[in-house]
Amino acid sequence: MTQPSWKISRRTCLQGLGVSLALPLLDGMVHGDQKARQRPRRMCSVYFPFGVAMPKDGSPDRQWGWFPTGIGADYQLTNPLQPLASLRKQVTILGGLSHPKGRSMGGHDTGDTFLTGAKLSGSSFANTVSIDQYAAAFVGDQTRFPSLTLSSDGGVGEPTRSTTLSFTRSGRPVPALASPQQIFDRLFGKGDGSTESQRRRLEQSGSLLDLLLENSRSLKRRLGTRDKKKLDDYLASVRAVEKRVQQSQRWLSIPKPKVDPKSVDLDVDQKAPREYLRSMYDLLFLAFQTDTTRLATYMIGQVAGATTIANAFPACIGLKGNWHGLAHGAGKAGGAERLGKFDQFLAEQFGYFLQRLHETSEGDGTLLDHTLVLYGSSNSRTHQNRNYPLVLAGGTGLGLKHGHYRRYGNDVPLSNLFVTMLDRIGVPVKGFADSTAEMSDLLA
Amino acid sequence: MDGSSITTRINFRKSIESMDRRTTQHGSLLFRAHPFRSIAGMMGFACWVIVGVAGSGVAEEPKPVTFARDIKPVLKRLCVGCHGPRKQLGKLRLDTLDPDFVKGTGAETWHDVLNKLNLGEMPPKKAKQPTTAERRMLVGWVTRELQRAERAARNTGGRVVMRRLTRYEYNNTLRDLLGVQLDFAENLPPESVSADGFQNNGSVLGISPIQIEYYLKAARMALGKAIVTGPRPEVFKHHAIKSEKIRRVKGPVSSRLGPDSRFIVRLMKFPREGEVVVRVRAHAVVPPGAGVPRMRIGMGVRADVRAPEKTLAEVDVANSAPRTFTFRGRIESFPLPGHNPKYPGLQVTVYNAYEDGRPKTRKKKKKKKKKAPVEPDPTQPLLVIESVDFEGPVFDAWPPVTHTRIFFPTSGQPTERQYAGKILSRFMTRAYRRPVGEDELAGSLALYDKLRTGSPSFEIAIRDVLSLVLVSPEFLYLVEPRNGSASRQPLDNFELASRLSYFLWSTMPDDRLFQLAGKGRLTDQAVRQAQVRRMLKDPRARQFANHFADQWLDLPALDRVAVNPEFHPTFDDRLKRDMRDETRHFFAEILNADLSALNLLKSDFAMLNRRLAGHYGVPLPSGGDMQRVKLSEGSHRGGLLTQGSFLLSNSNGEDSHPIKRAVWVLDRLLDDPPAPPPPDVPDLDPSRPSLAKLSLKQQLEVHRKKEACNNCHRQIDPWGVVFENFDAVGRWRTVVTGPRKKKRGRQPVDAMVTLPDGRQVDGVTGIQDYLVESKSRQFARALVKRLLTYSLGRSLEYSDRRLVDSLTRGFIESDYRLGRLIVAIADSRLFLTK
Repeated sequence: MTQPSWKISRRTCLQGLGVSLALPLLDGMVHGDQKARQRPRRMCSVYFPFGVAMPKDGSPDRQWGWFPTGIGADYQLTNPLQPLASLRKQVTILGGLSHPKGRSMGGHDTGDTFLTGAKLSGSSFANTVSIDQYAAAFVGDQTRFPSLTLSSDGGVGEPTRSTTLSFTRSGRPVPALASPQQIFDRLFGKGDGSTESQRRRLEQSGSLLDLLLENSRSLKRRLGTRDKKKLDDYLASVRAVEKRVQQSQRWLSIPKPKVDPKSVDLDVDQKAPREYLRSMYDLLFLAFQTDTTRLATYMIGQVAGATTIANAFPACIGLKGNWHGLAHGAGKAGGAERLGKFDQFLAEQFGYFLQRLHETSEGDGTLLDHTLVLYGSSNSRTHQNRNYPLVLAGGTGLGLKHGHYRRYGNDVPLSNLFVTMLDRIGVPVKGFADSTAEMSDLLA
Repeated sequence: MDGSSITTRINFRKSIESMDRRTTQHGSLLFRAHPFRSIAGMMGFACWVIVGVAGSGVAEEPKPVTFARDIKPVLKRLCVGCHGPRKQLGKLRLDTLDPDFVKGTGAETWHDVLNKLNLGEMPPKKAKQPTTAERRMLVGWVTRELQRAERAARNTGGRVVMRRLTRYEYNNTLRDLLGVQLDFAENLPPESVSADGFQNNGSVLGISPIQIEYYLKAARMALGKAIVTGPRPEVFKHHAIKSEKIRRVKGPVSSRLGPDSRFIVRLMKFPREGEVVVRVRAHAVVPPGAGVPRMRIGMGVRADVRAPEKTLAEVDVANSAPRTFTFRGRIESFPLPGHNPKYPGLQVTVYNAYEDGRPKTRKKKKKKKKKAPVEPDPTQPLLVIESVDFEGPVFDAWPPVTHTRIFFPTSGQPTERQYAGKILSRFMTRAYRRPVGEDELAGSLALYDKLRTGSPSFEIAIRDVLSLVLVSPEFLYLVEPRNGSASRQPLDNFELASRLSYFLWSTMPDDRLFQLAGKGRLTDQAVRQAQVRRMLKDPRARQFANHFADQWLDLPALDRVAVNPEFHPTFDDRLKRDMRDETRHFFAEILNADLSALNLLKSDFAMLNRRLAGHYGVPLPSGGDMQRVKLSEGSHRGGLLTQGSFLLSNSNGEDSHPIKRAVWVLDRLLDDPPAPPPPDVPDLDPSRPSLAKLSLKQQLEVHRKKEACNNCHRQIDPWGVVFENFDAVGRWRTVVTGPRKKKRGRQPVDAMVTLPDGRQVDGVTGIQDYLVESKSRQFARALVKRLLTYSLGRSLEYSDRRLVDSLTRGFIESDYRLGRLIVAIADSRLFLTK
């Protein structure tokens, strides 16, 4: 029997990766005491839709504007970001950045490209790789899960209204998980049975997937072009699972971290946004703390008010109106305060996440100082794809310097920030999307 | 008129007919989200790009715009000076930009041009400006061409793309294949929705590694339930004639249940796996004027204070003499206590879930009396419980049928491997919904050989091989292979059986269909028609009614609206489920009773339960099940347009939203959606005091005075204003309520409008009569298109137009009978070929 061609390519591919993986791989296998020697570096990105309140400087409701007043190290926080006040030395607030290609896209179309910088064109909507998936190709093998993709809506949604921030190297959306219980089970749930039976099961999965790939080849010959493409998607997914199965086998002898399910409220849903967001942040925190993954994204809501579950979040916590409506009303009398209060609520939950990372020690520092967290939206005012409201937190142990409110001009693409972030977490990167340089001013 | 201009016209028309739902949704979403507290708020998004004709709504049909004749001269005069041969400001050159969006490469650049035009950034203020008509023409042309390019990109050449089973199809199929009823799709990500609103569109249904993982997991779990090893498990039985008293449970505990009281059974020993049966012997005591009690069975953890439980069943109880009700469920679907729980045991609770139909006012918390009176309210119906029996796990036999269906008894003395081959062959045939080839069987047997040596038993080795079958593309997808040639080919009998069963049942074919397919009989028209009629009568056809109604009418939108209790204090969130059920039952009733589909527009009956009828303020049916209620003249109800599913989901949770309602009617019922609004429209100055005093209708009129808004909105607004007598949550009103009342005081509702064709209609009754009299043909065509789309699992294309026309003719001739339309679809060339 001839060697199926895909096997060759997979092996070649693994060989190719082997070089760059050799060191981190070893490191990934070393647990316990030696862990302190090389602490894990992590990256997390959180997105919210519809933009923020932006009253003019000097107007009476300026305090409800999202961006601080003043600039540089002497900036003053306004109400919405007040929950981050105690973390001033751990955060930088960024203004003026955006993806140049996003600027000419529809006001509701840029959630998809927040982490990719791609241009979704009017006809094909092809996306490109997101920073987390880009990083996963280099450092994903160091943990049990290469990356973790969450959103409040779950799934992938539709192009320009994607319900996920993560896109593979071929630009395909990675489905997001939305149920805290499901996320917990996936990350920390016990496998079925003993290690031995798990090993057997994994080996089986391996042969099974092998066979699937082989069987499907004869099917493929009988399909039309479009059907073939569908089958290719299927086969690519099977291959990815096969790879994960191999990775899992390496992790078999290392027990999953024991996490008390009671430490997270898993019995919450999106109807109680405060509790729900906290649980999602708790899960992100636990995933990092236990070094279950080092890369994560969380899309709090997608940009389609009609279809995102997050649209009802403000009403669910007792504010008046839905999110999209609040965002649109932000320019009216009293509107900045109405939206600002919700922005503040979001920052409060985000601050809770940062605080937990900050209060947890790891090695000679804290979890936060080896974790880069990006938080923000791809709209400033709603529909405006410029001047993204952004917070970059953590990573002081990775060379980041915080405590500033920095503003940039249109000439600085957001991807420059991505280059710096990727570089800091140890991902070899020459450039990302349309980047032009690093952002060295963020470094100590 | 020459041939080419006819084609242009038709394409043009078509691009409007099936507006890309993504953008439409965008639009409607903008509206949905809009607080709509003032006209200014609405106008920010109320500006829709005008795209030539807006279809039926317009009396006159303008000449189609062409690039060479209409667009090029304008560009040359206004733009090419800076974006042409001499200068290319912004690196843009328009005189050489390819106007063919489909074949050319300029579509993205044109998209940028569109955005600049919409934002009013180009031409720059100092330069020569286009006239309003010119600007509108440019924007309209680019928008339309972009949509056409999108549609072309989606075009699948009139073929169904190999389509993955949807979550619900997967779940149903696994259930029918294995005979185990559990939620297998629980962990699968939600489906994306196609441009025309459907989940079962092959082009849109994607796949990713995480799905494969969960498919594999679900397959193993399901097979683990179907295939048993070891001896028959212990059966637990419990008989109760009196309720347990539990200290911390609020509310009275009794055998004579009034609303809010309950009968509790506590089981210290119970199974953790398998099917269980709960039998309740009960009768009703109904005082005059009241409805019948409703029995709800909850089962779950005994947590005493906050008991996590799930509902096993809910039924109306009308019998005055005791009767035994039997309910079945898989115990794994219910919350079970963990190991070493604080409150051990399982709790089965019987409730009287009767609702008297009076809208609940939010009660102020009364101080509880220490000893609540045990005597129930004499005006409320009683549910009298004689006994509750629990038994589980139950089996028809041991090993159970789920097991013996796979490990069937064989004659003769086959070797283990021969037997394995027979098992695999039979299972794969059902799972792949067609006979399997030798090579396919050989592949599975090879895996069996590999696994058998390491397996503790034959059954376990087989189980592991079967899990391969259940993650194969042949199981997960509806595959219709072709033999090379490009022309359309007839479906084979098995492919036909699957198309029929996934269309009408959302699951795999049953034995009868398999038999007929095996004999090659389904290609016989008479046989096939008889099968379609049989399938429609089968209870599984409810799957069709539910999923089609859900997707066609976007019923899940109900869950995306948060009702503001400040304005709707009596609204009970369970009404959302009732509203969805109302519409599903209403559609099913028209289908099953073979009524005219025009009843969807206007009917003299409704499908209601007591709670929803109370909310609507119409005479109450007896119980909690949806039942057919005759409507009296002047009830303001009857037809989709009077149902909460339409009215509430197209509101913003505080007040009605005429524009969203209008877009829904134009899109879903008339298949003539307006173009989406431009990506960004500046807000109207909100502080204009002159606006504040006006009624909604007057505000919209002011809005339409702006030329830029008028062209679209005169075609949109009237279709929504006619429903102003319904508030956000679908209740009838004659004066405005909600935020507008709070702001502007008491105003009468004015629902008199002039439609785009000049017809004056007054309110919901007026528009219903108008639709039935003047738009029935258009409605029929819209429904045919959506139904055909759903049945094929792909979006319709230009080439499908003739079939749509002939189906529409037949549908109207049959007096709008859905059953006959479905038979005609199943007989159509597109349905029978690949």
